[in-house]
Amino acid sequence: MRLRRTLAAVAAVALALPLAACGGSSGSSGSSDGKLTFFSWDGQDTMKPVIDKFQQENPGIKIEFSNAPPVAEYISTLQSRILSGTAADVFAIAAENKTNLINGKHVVDLKDKPFLKNVPKFNQTTYGGQDGAVYGLSVASWGAGVLYNKDLLAKAGANAIPQTWDEFLALCHKLKNAGVTPYLESVQAMSTPLAAFLGAESAADGNSMDSKIFDGSAKFKDYWVEPLTQWSRLWTEGLVTPAVVGLTGDQVRTEFANGKVAMMIAGPWDIPGVRKAAPKLKIEMAPIPGIAGRPAYLAGAASPGYAINSKAKNPAAAEKFLAYLDTPEAMALYQKATGAITVTTDFQPALDPALQPIVKDVRAGNIYLPQIAWKRAEDILNVEATAQLQLLVQGKATPEQVATALDTKLASTS
Amino acid sequence: MKQRRSPITSVVMIALACLVGVPLYYIVVNTFKTQQEMAKSPLALPTSLFLDNYQRIFETVPLGRSFLNTLVVTIAALLVQLFVGSTAAYAMAMRASRFNRIFGALLLLGFIVPGQSTLIPLYRLLVGAELVDTLRGLVIIYSGGAIFCYFLIQAYISRLPFEIIEAARIDGAGPFQIYWRIVLPLIRPILVTVGIFQTMGIWNDFITPNVFLSSPEKSTLVLQVYRSVGEFSTDWPAFMTMSVLVLVPMVVFFVLTQRHIVSGLLAGSVKS
Amino acid sequence: MSTPLLTRTEAPSPAPVRAERSTWARARDASANQLFLVPVALVFIVLLVIPLTQTFYWSFTDFTGYSADVKFVGLSNYHKVLTDPSMLAGLGFTLAYTIGTAVLITACAIPLAVVLNKKFFGRNFVRSVFFFPAIPSIAILGLVWGYILSPLGSGVLNSVLQSLFHAGPYPWLSDDTLARLSVIVVAVWGGAGWHAMLYLAYLQSIPADYYEVATIDGASARQQFFHLTLPLLTPAIVISNFLLMTGGLKVFDLPFTLTKGGPGYSTYTITQSIITSGVAQGRYGLASALAVLFTFAVALVAVAQLWASRRIERRVL
Repeated sequence: MRLRRTLAAVAAVALALPLAACGGSSGSSGSSDGKLTFFSWDGQDTMKPVIDKFQQENPGIKIEFSNAPPVAEYISTLQSRILSGTAADVFAIAAENKTNLINGKHVVDLKDKPFLKNVPKFNQTTYGGQDGAVYGLSVASWGAGVLYNKDLLAKAGANAIPQTWDEFLALCHKLKNAGVTPYLESVQAMSTPLAAFLGAESAADGNSMDSKIFDGSAKFKDYWVEPLTQWSRLWTEGLVTPAVVGLTGDQVRTEFANGKVAMMIAGPWDIPGVRKAAPKLKIEMAPIPGIAGRPAYLAGAASPGYAINSKAKNPAAAEKFLAYLDTPEAMALYQKATGAITVTTDFQPALDPALQPIVKDVRAGNIYLPQIAWKRAEDILNVEATAQLQLLVQGKATPEQVATALDTKLASTS
Repeated sequence: MKQRRSPITSVVMIALACLVGVPLYYIVVNTFKTQQEMAKSPLALPTSLFLDNYQRIFETVPLGRSFLNTLVVTIAALLVQLFVGSTAAYAMAMRASRFNRIFGALLLLGFIVPGQSTLIPLYRLLVGAELVDTLRGLVIIYSGGAIFCYFLIQAYISRLPFEIIEAARIDGAGPFQIYWRIVLPLIRPILVTVGIFQTMGIWNDFITPNVFLSSPEKSTLVLQVYRSVGEFSTDWPAFMTMSVLVLVPMVVFFVLTQRHIVSGLLAGSVKS
Repeated sequence: MSTPLLTRTEAPSPAPVRAERSTWARARDASANQLFLVPVALVFIVLLVIPLTQTFYWSFTDFTGYSADVKFVGLSNYHKVLTDPSMLAGLGFTLAYTIGTAVLITACAIPLAVVLNKKFFGRNFVRSVFFFPAIPSIAILGLVWGYILSPLGSGVLNSVLQSLFHAGPYPWLSDDTLARLSVIVVAVWGGAGWHAMLYLAYLQSIPADYYEVATIDGASARQQFFHLTLPLLTPAIVISNFLLMTGGLKVFDLPFTLTKGGPGYSTYTITQSIITSGVAQGRYGLASALAVLFTFAVALVAVAQLWASRRIERRVL
């Protein structure tokens, strides 16, 4: 019975310690402006400098910070809190929950707030609603393109970054003949090149492509078949292994950092990882080369925005906090912690030189992601699209079948 | 039955364990590497003793407080689970009435319902009871694990030599005495086993605290780790290091308790 | 069980245990006995019945998961679940996974438990190693197995196969069949030790003198295993398989971290459908309907399984 006695002793000590500690912390209710609760998408280490500075400048307000890792955990935690009326005053609105948050009137319209002045239109409309309403303060964007290992390119005798998709495929052939694995992308989510092709198409069409698909005047089939066909040439021409449907982005990045593949799909978040794993690699990022005479384009979207709970207990402090978040001072702290491509007009982010070729387009909002641009049933369609793309890569579906499957899915949700 | 200590068994089992342990080795060995080294040769031994991962986490993540929280929750929930589970199993084994049999079958619902579908209702329930964002509330949620304990203990009790209990009853012992003095010692192996299972489960659970706790100072260890991950999202060595730190107490706990699984019945019946 | 301290006098036959159980059923102090059921009844009602009732109610509404303001929509959620092919896309793999893991884990765990119950040098080490796959978070295990099973030539398994047999690389996680198999194998790796610990505990309830008598009667180790150990482990087998079946039917996180449900829908599971529709798509009413139907289906399987195993148990003992 020694075990039982030991356990009992441990239990007694363990129960006593925090109880004693609790005694001291109860008198923390502060001054008049009071407490502001903030449920964040970013971790504590990212937000802490910003929060500290804000509290320093607004001594009356004490921010109670909490967070959950994105995406699924964040969304579900916020969901249950909103439902029960325990959600924080300020929280993040993301592509994955914006429809529910906006339709359920859980977030405040920020339309005419002065702090939106330095936020580009693109980021405002991403979290916008009817009549120009804006429900989230989004201060950064991301864009994904091709990351080139310039040493490997040089080895195969290539020194120019391709401008068209045909040139890109020719480069793949050249690398392959030189014994280098040309290109990898993880096909476990929406494909970046495909998104970029569609983005260029949509931009040329006056951004009306998705409106037409969702109001019934056009079909996925009308727009998607050509981009799908071009993208799938990577496999039909034998340039890339169909095994990519079983690869994660992490695995692709590791291959790239180890110099085993010349080009990969990457976003800004991949750069620090590559730099740390392979400090000497000469790398450069570029947009996805265009098809059918269209320009090179980036896949990407506005980062999650900060939103104010429509049932906020301290709306005044919430607004103050948001107003502070996009000041150049706060942006500097945030940018330093995240390395994100910030978009506010009065602050220039300091970024890795490898990102230079894409920064301007990302900040201007020349980026596209289907599941964000879609008007409804975003996640339903995205799940279907991902599964269909994998079938396409495996040669089990044709581009026409993939596009038709999306049309069928969309029809089934209305 | 005399058992020999077979050297062949040792060789075969240790070889098998090494094979099964490769992924665990992978985790531990990479905590001593830089990202660069991990990318280059994930399976090789580290070239030098690199402790920065550990040092950085001790410096940036407040582990002490969350360790205590986890300890409190785990112990409290475990005691509740074992108490509720063993009393129920005892009652069911002692009286197999129609009501008890039907109730026992209904308890199986605890295994059948997908946990995700009761999460939101439970959250609302705790909000109503003003227990959300408290460690007590978390313990209440975990007490649902009692049904698991009940199930395992019940099957164990049904195998016990009931003549011992019969003898005690003839000696005039009441149900409470029988439960405390005779049944509990007899079922020690399964109590320890279930205890190990549940301790591991509670200690490592992320979903429940993530939904039910919001204040950072009430964070459990795993929650703390995951909430710090944002920054480390591509820094796998750091993430693995944090996981190893969470697991170390469990390794110690397992090594200390697992030998109690064996020898329960022997000890119990000798006493009587 | 190296030192048979237990010296009982009666014949070591398992039959009396059953007979005495019915004696106990006629316990005279029934009400005191029923008091012991109060705690578990509380747990059952608060943590299971109440939330389930709520889910059941939501399955008839357009609940989004965000606002308690709901509209009653009758049976339309159920209709949608039963007619939308992607809601049930996971059915096939969920069944394959459940049966595959149940059979393989049982086949590995019982012999493992018998061996781990013997004394041998390094036993504690071996026990710990086999048990510990059940412990680390699924996120890390997914990552580690992702590298081991990487379909590229640089994957751990593929490079081992390459250097030993000049074979591969094999698309472990990117071919439909191989991906399904890989997920099941990883699940067996993760679960066999855990279930072996379960069996190990139940092995302790087999009195050592049964084995003594069997040895005196000249039974070989093999005969003892099949005619003594295995029949006496029946309750443990029932439990372990019950856990494997219900757990398998509800599986989500392991396939999800390894393959995200792909390639295509080849490793998609029912629970993944519930979670995606409930959380990511804000169709909580629909997810509730799926959960309700699913609960009934699992309950049916569980009852059938328990009924079958009780019959087997009766025949064996």
